Amino acid sequence: MNDNQTLLSVENVSTHFFTEDGVARAVQDVSFSIKKAKTFALVGESGCGKSVTALSIMRLIPTPPGQIVGGNIVFEGRNLLTLSEKQIRQVRGNRIAMIFQEPMTSLNPVYTVGNQIVEAIRLHQKKSIRDAWKDAAETLRKVGIADPEQRVSEYPHQMSGGMRQRVMIAMAVSCEPRLLIADEPTTALDVTIQAQILDLLDELQKQNGMSILLITHDLGVVAERADDVAVMYASRIVEVADSQKLFAEPLHPYTQGLLKSLPRLGLSAKRLQTISGTVPDPLHFPGGCKFHPRCCVGCSDKRCQTVEPRLMEVRSGRHVACWYAKGYEEK
Amino acid sequence: MSKQAKKKANWGVSYGEMVSHEFVKSKLNVVCLVFIVFLFAVAVLAPFLANDKPFVIRIDGQLHFPVFKSLRASDYCIFLAAIVGIVQLLLIRRNRRRVDPSIRGAVLWRQICISSSIIFVGVILIFVFVPRRLDATDYKAMVASGRASGAVFAPIPYGYARTDLKSREQPPSREHWLGTDDVGSDVLCRLIYGSRISLSVGFVAVGISSVIGIAVGAILGYFGGKVDFIGMRIVEMMMAIPVFFLIITIVAFFPRSLLNIMIIIGITSWTGDARFIRAEFFKLRKQDFVQAAVSLGLPLRSILFRHMLPNGIAPVLVNATFGIAGAIFIEAALSFLGFGVAPPTPSWGQMLSLGVSTTGRFLWWLTLFPGLAIFFTVMAYNLVGEALRDALDPKLRIQ
Repeated sequence: MNDNQTLLSVENVSTHFFTEDGVARAVQDVSFSIKKAKTFALVGESGCGKSVTALSIMRLIPTPPGQIVGGNIVFEGRNLLTLSEKQIRQVRGNRIAMIFQEPMTSLNPVYTVGNQIVEAIRLHQKKSIRDAWKDAAETLRKVGIADPEQRVSEYPHQMSGGMRQRVMIAMAVSCEPRLLIADEPTTALDVTIQAQILDLLDELQKQNGMSILLITHDLGVVAERADDVAVMYASRIVEVADSQKLFAEPLHPYTQGLLKSLPRLGLSAKRLQTISGTVPDPLHFPGGCKFHPRCCVGCSDKRCQTVEPRLMEVRSGRHVACWYAKGYEEK
Repeated sequence: MSKQAKKKANWGVSYGEMVSHEFVKSKLNVVCLVFIVFLFAVAVLAPFLANDKPFVIRIDGQLHFPVFKSLRASDYCIFLAAIVGIVQLLLIRRNRRRVDPSIRGAVLWRQICISSSIIFVGVILIFVFVPRRLDATDYKAMVASGRASGAVFAPIPYGYARTDLKSREQPPSREHWLGTDDVGSDVLCRLIYGSRISLSVGFVAVGISSVIGIAVGAILGYFGGKVDFIGMRIVEMMMAIPVFFLIITIVAFFPRSLLNIMIIIGITSWTGDARFIRAEFFKLRKQDFVQAAVSLGLPLRSILFRHMLPNGIAPVLVNATFGIAGAIFIEAALSFLGFGVAPPTPSWGQMLSLGVSTTGRFLWWLTLFPGLAIFFTVMAYNLVGEALRDALDPKLRIQ
């Protein structure tokens, strides 16, 4: 798994939250790897553990109550989970950067956007204020903000949501990170801006060869942009595959359900298909396969109700965690 | 030039500018602010307003400048601080207009460093080089006897420590505008010097309490959990102690110096600030921009004090303004009870206590004028505090 092409590999990571009501197992035994200069998408419903996975990579889990209870996160040959606080700070923002879902509140309202970008640049690179300021304007130009020399000295409240998200991206890429974690970067934006932001991320990826971990619940976004996709359900990854293969032939019943519930052009169905039931409460997960109460394949199978399937490679490049997946049992 | 002007017009409006714009909308706020500035001017210029030494006097054909000779090291320190402060304020105004926002923060930081080092070095030099002088010459007697001539006195030609048993307990007259007290000192003169005590107690005590309160509150609010639980219990214990009686007890044990009073008021009144900052930080640490700052790899110090504090400072700023009023009040009360600064150093509260003389006479001018001074000062600070609270409240502001 740790060949030259791998930038980040997450190995059997579990993150739990120890609350007064019990232990919430937000992320369990999650493994995946991100290749250099590729986009890896993490898809799933709200509350399935996507964001917690991302925060675990950045070591941003609020402790207590959260804790990364096991696993390794190897980035550029170093295990991020064993780094000291000082060492991880040099990784954050510099080698791994993150952009958040809500651009309206992700910028500090009391400083100009230029100030905030300059702070990020000067934190990780030895540069004079004037040079850093020029860099900031340059980065703003790169993320497609018109008249960047003017915009650097404006405050966040003078900008629209789309522009703020561009500023967030500018801040994140200003130090040329190798991995950019985009946690639902377009959820809060309207559709035309969504496309622009995603195009921008593609563009930046081509320019400086960084990898992107794209966290989203929007399968449309995934199909177009991602090279690899992991589908998460109730704290576990249930299927990992190359994006084209996944969309062509989903193996896990949950993935199948998700794809069926996408609206499609040209298909005149009266009602959109849905997956019945709701996402289980992380404090009280069902036994066995967590998807079995909602599954149309194995809901009455004793094995599905009692034994949880692990993620396994059923054929080259296809990992899935389902007893019914073709080729699963033989392994 | 027109390009320059255009660029200037397009610079963003900072938070400070919005707040000050909101603040000056009401005339009353401006009046209060002007009153406070006036008090400061009076306090700083006290030796030139009330002094028994003349500015200029001709003795035996030679010109002398006794006022400047009689200035003490502490007076020079106050002048230096005031001048540097005014220059710094003017520089900040100039920065707004002339300096590009990109380097404004760095420029301001450099200016503040230079200003504070000038004050620091200046104070040391002043204390080394300005000798302790005691000029006991009675210039008025010299003028009266004809030995000296051409004397120009300050508007109130009395020293604050003057004792003149012939003119004690006199009501306001042309000679003593606000009357005299039990040892014959001019009341107006003592009021002017007393403003120094009140203002410095207010600012230093609040400075001390704000620094402690912000530091404690920031740590409790950011870390939360057990740290917060234990910390808050300690804060609550502090709050349960009746502060005024604690202060009286402490003052009874320590020498009655102004500095001691400032420190004691400061270290007993930080609990409110700590609670405000803690509450703000609880709210702020979940905010996305704080998360974003952490994810950029900023050190804790920068996150707490550069990113969170400016967003949560508003209630502390308001509380500080009320705190200044409160500290002035506590100092007056302590002095009134006889626990304040030792005479002959003048203090408003102490003067108030002289209103009922030892002979049982009620000296209304000794009650009224210091009372009014305390009243107006405290009211001005409270009104400014309220105006600040409104100006800082984003909910009341129309975007």
